[in-house]
Amino acid sequence: MNDLKLDGLGKKERLKFKNLSKDREKVMASTPLDNIKVDYNTNEIARSLHPKLQYVKVIDIINESSDVKTFLLAPNEEKGTKKLAYFKAGQYISVRIRIGKCLYKRPYTLSCSPKLALNNRYTITIKRKEEGVVSNHFFNNITVGSSFVVSAPSGTFCYERIRDAKNVIAIAGGSGITPFISMAEAINDQLLNFNLTILYGAKTRKDIIFKEKLDKLSSHEKIKVKYILSEEESDKYETGFIEKETIDPYLVEENSFFVCGPMELYKHINEVLKEYNLAKKFIRTDLFFSEIEVRREENFNVKVITKDKEFNITCNGKETLLSAIEKNGILAPSSCHVGVCGLCRSKLISGKIKTFDSDLRVSDKNLNYIHPCSSFPESDIVIKLPN
Amino acid sequence: MDNSYDAIVIGAGNAGLISALKLVKENKKVLILESNNVPGGMATSFIRGRFEFEASLQAISGYGSSEKPGPLYKLFEKLDIVDKIKFINLTEAFHVYCKEKKEDYVMPFGIQEFINKMNEYVPNSEKAMKKFFILAEEVQKALLFLENDKNVNSQTLLEHFPNFIKVAALSTDKVFKALKMPKKAAEILSTYWVYLGSPTSTLSFVHFASMLLSYIYLGAVVPEKRSHEINTILAEEITKNGGVIKYLSTVQEILFEEGKVSGVRLSDGKDFKSKHILFNGSPTFLYGKMIPKEHVPKEALKLTNSRVLGARGFSIYLGLNQSPEDIGLTDYNYFIYHSLDSNSEFENRSALKNNSCVATVLNNINPHCSPAGTTLITLTSTFFGDAFDSKVTEENYFELKNQIAENMINNFEETTGINIKSYIEEIEIASPVTFARYGGHPEGIIYGYKLTGLDNLLPRTLNKEKENFIPNIRICGGFDAWGNGFSNTYLSGYRAAKQTLLDMKGEEE
Ligand SMILES: Cc1cc2nc3c(=O)[nH]c(=O)nc-3n(C[C@H](O)[C@H](O)[C@H](O)COP(=O)(O)OP(=O)(O)OC[C@H]3O[C@@H](n4cnc5c(N)ncnc54)[C@H](O)[C@@H]3O)c2cc1C
Repeated sequence: MNDLKLDGLGKKERLKFKNLSKDREKVMASTPLDNIKVDYNTNEIARSLHPKLQYVKVIDIINESSDVKTFLLAPNEEKGTKKLAYFKAGQYISVRIRIGKCLYKRPYTLSCSPKLALNNRYTITIKRKEEGVVSNHFFNNITVGSSFVVSAPSGTFCYERIRDAKNVIAIAGGSGITPFISMAEAINDQLLNFNLTILYGAKTRKDIIFKEKLDKLSSHEKIKVKYILSEEESDKYETGFIEKETIDPYLVEENSFFVCGPMELYKHINEVLKEYNLAKKFIRTDLFFSEIEVRREENFNVKVITKDKEFNITCNGKETLLSAIEKNGILAPSSCHVGVCGLCRSKLISGKIKTFDSDLRVSDKNLNYIHPCSSFPESDIVIKLPN
Repeated sequence: MDNSYDAIVIGAGNAGLISALKLVKENKKVLILESNNVPGGMATSFIRGRFEFEASLQAISGYGSSEKPGPLYKLFEKLDIVDKIKFINLTEAFHVYCKEKKEDYVMPFGIQEFINKMNEYVPNSEKAMKKFFILAEEVQKALLFLENDKNVNSQTLLEHFPNFIKVAALSTDKVFKALKMPKKAAEILSTYWVYLGSPTSTLSFVHFASMLLSYIYLGAVVPEKRSHEINTILAEEITKNGGVIKYLSTVQEILFEEGKVSGVRLSDGKDFKSKHILFNGSPTFLYGKMIPKEHVPKEALKLTNSRVLGARGFSIYLGLNQSPEDIGLTDYNYFIYHSLDSNSEFENRSALKNNSCVATVLNNINPHCSPAGTTLITLTSTFFGDAFDSKVTEENYFELKNQIAENMINNFEETTGINIKSYIEEIEIASPVTFARYGGHPEGIIYGYKLTGLDNLLPRTLNKEKENFIPNIRICGGFDAWGNGFSNTYLSGYRAAKQTLLDMKGEEE
């Protein structure tokens, strides 16, 4: 035992200790027997911003061009969705479409001002892709009145005022304009505050979407829009590709570049931006993977294990595991489809895959976890899904 | 498919995972149900760009090393996972800044080193500091004793721990006074208060002293590959031993048959059967909405209503595009306080009035945690009361988060004189809203209930069995007696598993 002396402490304090248990019971006994408070503003906002699912219905369809349509969505109240979640300009929702017995999920950027969400409306803008199961479904089968399920808004391709420069050069190709129309609208609605120059590359005049809106927005002192056509000569537009000369006039001392569009655009812009010798923080893309060159045109056997069942399917070396899983009518969690959000994180029990430089945690990599949304088989595979 | 289990664990946080591992190792058939898609709860990591951020961890205490094993080390040993996870030691206890007085203090690990350093900063503090550590040691031993024998009149307790008994019901401030601790020394010593989420006027001395002693004596660690590494390994071990983990599965209701616990129902309507439940969430929601009203005893309602929600979390995760040396970040943990007086600091945080935080620079103990030439830094703060809750709306949410984050970063820069803002390549901000969603706890609290008055460690411990209101439901994690913290929650999970094993045994007899 130590010979510690504590002056001024004695009987009273000892008694207090002896009574601790009883005193606690007394406090409890004297507490009113109200119902426990279970509704908290903070939790309510968490639920509003990140609902598990949102039931929506199409209330209008706008033809933007021959192969691009915008769908105006409203909450499907009959299914219990009373309001739509607020979002940050640049975010996407993952749309779930059931075709036959298969459930497909596709991310689409919200192409409207976040303010619209506060009025319980979203728009998504979809380009028809020749082999796109879902985009074709939208063009052929979705009409005003159709309803489906979407995820909460998600994604980090957003302007962050603490991180990004005050002057932003947005480089868009084709339907890659969608996040930037949302950002421009947000600036116009005073939700965001930065200088935005949109350099918008399209094949021909007909392929420019949101032209009218963009022209109107460009009268805002903080917004500039420039169109560059690659396959059409015109007096009114610049022709060719977006080059250093296209960009130079809009630069100030510090600039952030946001790039969104097809793979060829990334590759091209990547080369162009090299000339500026920019720190990585000033270049933001909504694609995080580099294209995988070697993919084998060969069918592999894939055994898919879920909590309740096992499935034997085939997957071609040219498609992602998730795509094969979806096509076979197997339910699998997913959202971003570019290896980033982590929702599809699954265990690779055996086999070899090729994957994007995707965003796996170090310890997940060591333990053979993969993101099926961004993994291509290179051998027969056994995989365990999270659900 | 057979849907019945020996035990169901709700939540795969630290406590849930450990409890499940213990149970499967005892050959029980165990199901874990977890809302999120990965194990770990608050203890997790996430990726932005080329950075993997630690979501919550700054320091794990109570681990020690093979030469000096702490309670957590011993626990991991019992569960055969010691060799599976690589830990890295913190090199200093803390670097604390007081903005209002423009002072800062760097404190080392090791009791003698700590006392010596304190005496340099506060001459004549040595005597009181020595007494503090002697008392802390007695406290720690007494608490260990009480774990097994809760009789406060036990002869052994009275004989062997006379000083413990005198301070057992007192606040930290009161004992500082009895120890004649010089004010400045008491303030530097109280730096640790923020980890317990309660200011020294209301925080029980025995809890404070026992935690601080463990921290200074054993040092502290972090896992080399973020806390996600611990979770994945625990999850693998559980599965290997026959346990089943279902992610994206939220338990909505506890089911009863003939007045007894019989299973759980998920939010998608699926049922699972078990007579034993271990619950890793908040009693507020357990008693408030998961258990049908007719099965919630009056006492459970009263107790829950008597408690105060603890610290709400706010974290800013920054990936910087320069190395710590280039930026001038030399320490691992910067405690940025406006005042070193925890009580005034607490008041200010209850009004969202100061921009205090703890800034953690992982690279300074784990150089390879991010690509060469970059830095991971996290700024974490805690709010109290309705400081945040009363201000936030869905519409102002993103802006409010940005404002608070900006103020915190500016405050860090002003206080330390180190510029970080120009180097931000990635940023993520977690607010109480984020924590409410991710942990599933009320109001985004990250430390369970506030440790205060008669809701401090000892009264909680002494009444624990009495407050186990519904047979066969064991609560574990940050809402348990010891409150938050990696060590505390892991140990809580282990205790809950052992209780459940006893519950099971009781049934057989
Ligand atoms: C920012 C921050 C910094 C921190 N720093 C430190 C530190 O430096 N050192 C330290 O020791 N500790 C620290 N902590 C505290 C520590 O992280 C926590 O105490 C610990 O992780 C909590 O573990 P837990 O077992 O209580 O479970 P939690 O992490 O609270 O997890 C509970 C789990 O249960 C799940 N769940 C809840 N209800 C349900 C339901 N109905 N159905 C299904 N699943 C459910 C949740 O989804 C969650 O995964 C910090 C915490 C935060 C947030």
